[in-house]
Amino acid sequence: MLEVRDLSVRFDTDDGPVHAVDRMSFELAPGEVLGIVGESGCGKSVTCMALVRLLPETASVSGRAIFEGVDLLSLSSRRLRAVRGRSIAYVFQEPMTSLNPVFTVGRQIGEVLERHLGMSARAARARTLELLELVRIPAPERRLDEYPHQLSGGMRQRVMIAMALACDPKVLIADEPTTALDVTIQAGILDLMRDIRERLGTAIILITHNLGVVADIADRVVVMYAGRKAEEAAVDDLFTFPQHPYTVGLLGAIPRPYEGEGTRERLQEIPGRVPSLRELPQACAFAERCPRADARSRSEVPQLREVRPRHLVACFHPGPN
Amino acid sequence: MSAVDTATMTSPRTRRRVLLRKRFLRRPMAVAGLVVVVAFVVVAIFAPWLAPYRAGATDFNALLAQPSSKHLLGTDSLGRDELSRLIWGARASMQAGFFATVLAILVATPIGMIAGYYRGWVDSVIARLTDVLLAFPFLILAVGLAAIFGASLLNATLALGVGAAPGLIRVARGETLALREEDYVPAAIANGATDRTIIFRHILPNMTSTLLVQATVTIPAAIVGEAVLSFLGLGVQAPTPSWGTMLQDAQSYLTQAPRLAVFPGLAIVLAALAFNVLGDGLRDIFDPRTTR
Amino acid sequence: MNVLEVDDLVKHFDAGSLFGRRRGIVHAVDGVSFTLARGEMLGLVGESGSGKSTVANCVLRLVEPTSGTIRLGDTDITHLSRRRMRPYRRRLHMVFQDPYSSLNPRMSCGDIVGEPLRLHKLASGRALDAEVARMLDAVGLRPELRFRFPHELSGGQRQRVGLARALILRPEVLVADEPVSALDVSVQAAILNLLRDLQTELGFSCLFITHDLATVEYLCDRVAVMYLGQIVEIADRRELFRNAQHPYTQALLSAAVVPDPTVQRTRRRVVLDGDVPSPLAPPSGCRFHTRCPLHERSAPASELETPALRAYAPGHLVACHLVGAGRSAPRLVDDPADIVSA
Repeated sequence: MLEVRDLSVRFDTDDGPVHAVDRMSFELAPGEVLGIVGESGCGKSVTCMALVRLLPETASVSGRAIFEGVDLLSLSSRRLRAVRGRSIAYVFQEPMTSLNPVFTVGRQIGEVLERHLGMSARAARARTLELLELVRIPAPERRLDEYPHQLSGGMRQRVMIAMALACDPKVLIADEPTTALDVTIQAGILDLMRDIRERLGTAIILITHNLGVVADIADRVVVMYAGRKAEEAAVDDLFTFPQHPYTVGLLGAIPRPYEGEGTRERLQEIPGRVPSLRELPQACAFAERCPRADARSRSEVPQLREVRPRHLVACFHPGPN
Repeated sequence: MSAVDTATMTSPRTRRRVLLRKRFLRRPMAVAGLVVVVAFVVVAIFAPWLAPYRAGATDFNALLAQPSSKHLLGTDSLGRDELSRLIWGARASMQAGFFATVLAILVATPIGMIAGYYRGWVDSVIARLTDVLLAFPFLILAVGLAAIFGASLLNATLALGVGAAPGLIRVARGETLALREEDYVPAAIANGATDRTIIFRHILPNMTSTLLVQATVTIPAAIVGEAVLSFLGLGVQAPTPSWGTMLQDAQSYLTQAPRLAVFPGLAIVLAALAFNVLGDGLRDIFDPRTTR
Repeated sequence: MNVLEVDDLVKHFDAGSLFGRRRGIVHAVDGVSFTLARGEMLGLVGESGSGKSTVANCVLRLVEPTSGTIRLGDTDITHLSRRRMRPYRRRLHMVFQDPYSSLNPRMSCGDIVGEPLRLHKLASGRALDAEVARMLDAVGLRPELRFRFPHELSGGQRQRVGLARALILRPEVLVADEPVSALDVSVQAAILNLLRDLQTELGFSCLFITHDLATVEYLCDRVAVMYLGQIVEIADRRELFRNAQHPYTQALLSAAVVPDPTVQRTRRRVVLDGDVPSPLAPPSGCRFHTRCPLHERSAPASELETPALRAYAPGHLVACHLVGAGRSAPRLVDDPADIVSA
């Protein structure tokens, strides 16, 4: 359904270029939930924002993103606007700042319906009500005329999701949708997303830094590091047989429950820092922090290889520790 | 993304200055503004050496003369060289502009900081009083004060400074309110810092760029203000030249010699514009969100 | 003797007044009691609106409690003036959540770490520099970084600077308010390890505030769970995770995501109805009753009477009408904490 090939994004800043994304490729099948995982600065958000052209002017995007037979990256602004919000919807992290505080909830969702589907105001209102029920907002009739500040964080996020689903998109891109929410509210939103996938068949790209969230609803996972794809696998495979040392490190860094009596093991640390994205080194981006690095990792960029069935890694020394 | 480059030996302050300079140079308008501002300041300082004639020198043989090689911009109704008067007038304007602004900042910053830091009834009183003063347009306020103080360049400067203070109080108060919510303030309290330490070590240093920008846009207001006050006879007194008094003199001769009004007018506009543009540029480069 | 004792702490805030007319009272903290023993790490867990950060601010005396007592050792510090409080500030310190806003951008890291020494006039000149360098080393930073400014450091490095500043006077109590929430996962691990190491080395007691149960389970000896300004359950770490009683604790444990797809797929979650009520108008009686899955069983008592924090087992206190000494609350789901995982 969505095929991204060699997507690269470069920002022109005060101190020179920043290569935020370097030749990212991935595919999204219909009805699939793809999790894109990585820490801050790895390029996961930039990748998806590039798809729907939400990046600032200082960004140069190259590569292809084929959606329904058309390359999104080469569409005119007008045609892209028809796709954005209608076939591909985007949900952001901060529900407070992505909803306009001076318009009621009903008005904001209604606007999407009127603009994209040409609905009349009355039809839009009825459909908005349906959408609010779909996202399980309690007392939806009341919410129609409420303002964002009257709703809690979790409810606002549901409104954002309702707005995203308004035109029955084929793809929903959710950028850290639960990061700003409490644990119990997050659980509700994840359940909702699972529900949406089952009932509407919407494919979802879920961007997050939280491996637990990914374990919860993703079918396939892409791990990004320093703008490049490090590993890609089905979710069970990734957690049971992690290959890339970065993935192994991430999994080891998460505290797990411990029943034993002796002193607990330390959490696994990954020494060093994310490399500067100002250059595109001809080496493995993770080499300086990697316990398995050798001369080859420092002089050659590892290409993605399939080391297990449908399990890709960009590493010269893949394997669990 | 911002890996600390441990190999470089430049100090962090130098790096920041280099970054700011690069950002500044990428803004041609701001650079132009700076050039013009510097030009005016140089003219004001070196007036005695730059002006072809002394300030009050009259030449009764050349009244309202057209521009010539002897008088590059012509003369006024008393035969005084227009160019020289413009140059000398720059002194009054620059003086008023800078000193009024300095006064305003020195007065407004402590008041604004006390209001913003302590809040409570002190803040209520200060904020409400400031609001009342801000209801008066700056020029009206300055004119009123100058009329009370009496006419002279010094008093005009004082009036302008006091008139500009309320706006700066509001800025200082706003910055203080925002800065005191930063976590390093409770951290300092937990360190055992007194209020004085917090205000002077933690809040004030973080306000300096905002204050600098505000100063740069207050100066043009003060320059225009000085021209207005002098025009009304409340500022510089004859025979000392000021762009405002030149405009005043030019009033009666508008049809005969419009250049007598045009040149000082242009000077005022240019100076004010240059400061404003410079101030905009500075505000831009100091903003942490700026990417270029 | 306990290093810190908090007894029936209450903090109400004015919800903003317009010309003197009060718009309401925010019941941020309403009757919180706990103790902190020497060398102990107590986790304070709660979601937004639980009041956990307000508890931290009260303990640090950054705000003055409305009522209740806070004892540091044998001194009552609850209502001390700023000036009288200063000497006690050597024994208490805090690490903040936001690594960007907790360090003054105009001060070098060395100045930031050395400020407590300077303010309390404990060292100066060469001796102060040496102590600062030693502290930076102890938190895993190269001593040269003391000349750098905060914006040149990464988030993880900044938190280390914050820790160095907090610990340079060897306080008895360290309050850590979500110290790793704003950091990346791999950096979190490093800071958590560091915190554990420092605690072993320096022997301070720590009040660790967070919303993340996994972290609490890793670091803390005892755990207290807060909801809407009150402690609903407090127990030893192992006991809490194995045998959580309060329905809110059970819901919290079951909602926390675990990085294990098989577990996440098969476990059942307790889903709570509705939103967290506003602290401006907390529900009557048991504050959790409006969202409690067991509400039917505990009514009408839970609507009328606030349950007291009672001993369910030695060292395990629960505030729930359905729980008493030896009387357990029903399990909402089978093993909410999924302790037994792959």
